[in-house]
Amino acid sequence: MKFETNTEHLFTAVSTAARFAEKRANLPVLASILIVAEGGRLVLRSTNLECGVEIQVAAKISEDGIVAIPASVLLGFLSNARGKTLTCSLEGEVCRFETERAQASIKTIPNDDFPVLPRVSAERSFTCKGADLAKAIHNVAYCASLSAIKPELQSVLLYGESGKIIAVATDSFRLAEKAIPLRSGGDIQQLLIPARNAAELMRILDAASGEVELYYNDNQLSTHIDSIYYTSRLIDGAFPNYRQILPKSFSTEVVVLREDFAAALKSLQIFADKFSHISLSIKPAEKALLLTSRNPEVGEQVSTIRATIAGEELTMSFNGRYLADSLQAITGESIRICINGAGKPIIIKNTADESFLYLVMPMNR
Amino acid sequence: MTTIKELWENALVELELTISKPNFNTWFKDTHIVRVEDGVVFLGVPSQFARDWLSTKFHKDILRSLRGLSENVRNVEYVISRNAKKVNEEVRVVPATVSELPLESIHSKTNLNPRFTFNTLIVGAFNELAHAAAQAVVRKPGIAYNPLLIYGPTGLGKTHLIQSIGNHFRINAPDRKVQYCTSEKFSMDYVSSLQSGKVQSFKEKYRQYDLLIMDDVQFLAKMEKTKEEFFHLFNYLHDGNKQLVFTSDQHPNIIQNLEDRLKSRFNAGMIISVTPPDRESRFAIVRSKAALHNVIIPDEVLEYLADTIEGNVRELEGALNLLLIQLEMRQEPITVSDAKVLLRGTGNATKKSVSIQEVVKTIANFYGIEEGSIYEKTRRKEIVRPRQVIMFLLREDFKISFPTIGEKLGGRDHTTVIHSCEKIKNDITSDSILNQELNQIRLMLK
Repeated sequence: MKFETNTEHLFTAVSTAARFAEKRANLPVLASILIVAEGGRLVLRSTNLECGVEIQVAAKISEDGIVAIPASVLLGFLSNARGKTLTCSLEGEVCRFETERAQASIKTIPNDDFPVLPRVSAERSFTCKGADLAKAIHNVAYCASLSAIKPELQSVLLYGESGKIIAVATDSFRLAEKAIPLRSGGDIQQLLIPARNAAELMRILDAASGEVELYYNDNQLSTHIDSIYYTSRLIDGAFPNYRQILPKSFSTEVVVLREDFAAALKSLQIFADKFSHISLSIKPAEKALLLTSRNPEVGEQVSTIRATIAGEELTMSFNGRYLADSLQAITGESIRICINGAGKPIIIKNTADESFLYLVMPMNR
Repeated sequence: MTTIKELWENALVELELTISKPNFNTWFKDTHIVRVEDGVVFLGVPSQFARDWLSTKFHKDILRSLRGLSENVRNVEYVISRNAKKVNEEVRVVPATVSELPLESIHSKTNLNPRFTFNTLIVGAFNELAHAAAQAVVRKPGIAYNPLLIYGPTGLGKTHLIQSIGNHFRINAPDRKVQYCTSEKFSMDYVSSLQSGKVQSFKEKYRQYDLLIMDDVQFLAKMEKTKEEFFHLFNYLHDGNKQLVFTSDQHPNIIQNLEDRLKSRFNAGMIISVTPPDRESRFAIVRSKAALHNVIIPDEVLEYLADTIEGNVRELEGALNLLLIQLEMRQEPITVSDAKVLLRGTGNATKKSVSIQEVVKTIANFYGIEEGSIYEKTRRKEIVRPRQVIMFLLREDFKISFPTIGEKLGGRDHTTVIHSCEKIKNDITSDSILNQELNQIRLMLK
């Protein structure tokens, strides 16, 4: 095997592919990136069996060949390699990388066991703006459960309906939902993407411009973005029917400035106990929202935020982190908090944007 | 004949020798045979990755080893099936004070409530036999103790125990079909299948299960047609070595209107009773329930609870809830004297007073004799026994004096009453059926 390519391009491709390599896998070859030089194309492939990528890199190939190289070693070398062009050649079991100013010989790994990436036929697909989808995943993925007990909660749900793609995630304490416009594809069945894979998809989508098309079947989701082919396993499970628990009407609505709310939550976190307990008091008469946190070992703090309130006086307790999490998805100037009385879930929204919704359960104290 | 599970296990043993360990662990983990049809083995694999790779790389090896074990195998197909991984039952570290969204519910396929597991079951002298039998059933389903019938009064964790068996199965042997239902649900299903003319599909539905758990089978006794259908289902599953688990509120031998053929079938397996928990177990139960709510209640208060509320675990739970809500409202610790005030009116504090007529009426009904005959001077055997039971219970449970009992039951001498009480007391030790009957009557009088 022998080829010549741009160092910078190869580095970008390798740094993406390295994220998919699995260091702790049973199969040692999965910790490597497979470099395939065939038919005039140079392709990098890597997978952790949950999701995988194939990245095409422009290169001048003088001799075909396939080689597997440990991802961390290759990435480490390339991130510091100077020099514009890089030549790579295989000499026995050692792969030699050479730029104008650096060279390395890396031991290869037998590549017979490197798996093929699943392909998904284009029968069922949908398109949307890449940046939109990346944003939707970003807005909800942090809500996905960390526990592996329920795989369906450890994933991001995507489904399409009436011209929109809706992304949802929940860990059963809070839930985030974001809708983005769908360009084509009509109704999309419920697709459960493991949260970790969704995060990788998001990073790839971030770099993409324009529209992307995603193909799916019952078990797998794939997409071509520029020179990258991405594929992820889909979880076979039923996402809870969360629509049922979304309240339709509210007894109290509070509107506050996002900045105020974020700053208050941040400083209250200092005084919060190990459950991040924060109590929220709504004072319609004073047109104010009172936030209190108390830790016997540190002290306590009360923050008052000016608010527009429609509804009754009320005090509720929350996990402050869950409240703060909602703000990373809300970019508008002010937020609306919709409440239905003590013990009931509340909904946080951007006042100017109906496409995002964040539901959080109160603490019962 | 080997089952498909054994077939695949044997094949795996062979494959493990020919394939490198990393490869084997990566690709053959979580695989199982879904079904075999016309010599084609359908192999369930967890993902498309595994499907593509197994079919291109290991197809020959798999086919060879399967053929070596079973000559009928012609081909292997790969299907992606839900890999019901062994969920490690790690304890979730979750701040108990945050309420969850109501997402968790009854498992729809099996009807089991995931809350009921062996882990959350408290084992004491009162249920350790039943627990041991349940464990044996889990280890050797269909072989050890089939059918298993657990009986005892309400609120002692029978349902918890049998659902634990089901949940254990559901998690550890996901390819086996488990079904939990109450006898009432079974009968409703049957009746509606009759109405819609779909009896055949009803039969098929229930006959496919590897483990059938039915709660409160005593209710079947009153339903003639359902009972017959149940009998056939029982035979079908039992002949196929499928595990059957039942609960009932009394020993099947004394369930009225239950045919002998059903009784003898229940008796062929294992019949175990759960009795009301002893004081130590009650204490362990309240303590673990309190811990579940993440609150600290002083041990002496819990001891007081265990002392005053005898018998039913459900009542124990109710009393504890009463304390919990008080704790939440007051935000200060609860003392024994608080508990005494709060629990006034529950448990043994109020022993219900029952009139003698009522006792006579209940017991006469129980034995199916005329109420009036108790008061008569007859010495017919079928009357004498119930009369003695009445005297015994009036004396033991309601502490009525011997002369009063004699007077009220048709003007008998107090020595007759004393004799009757002694007789029953002696008989209890040797006659288990009498013992059953007494328990039953006591429940009715509560």
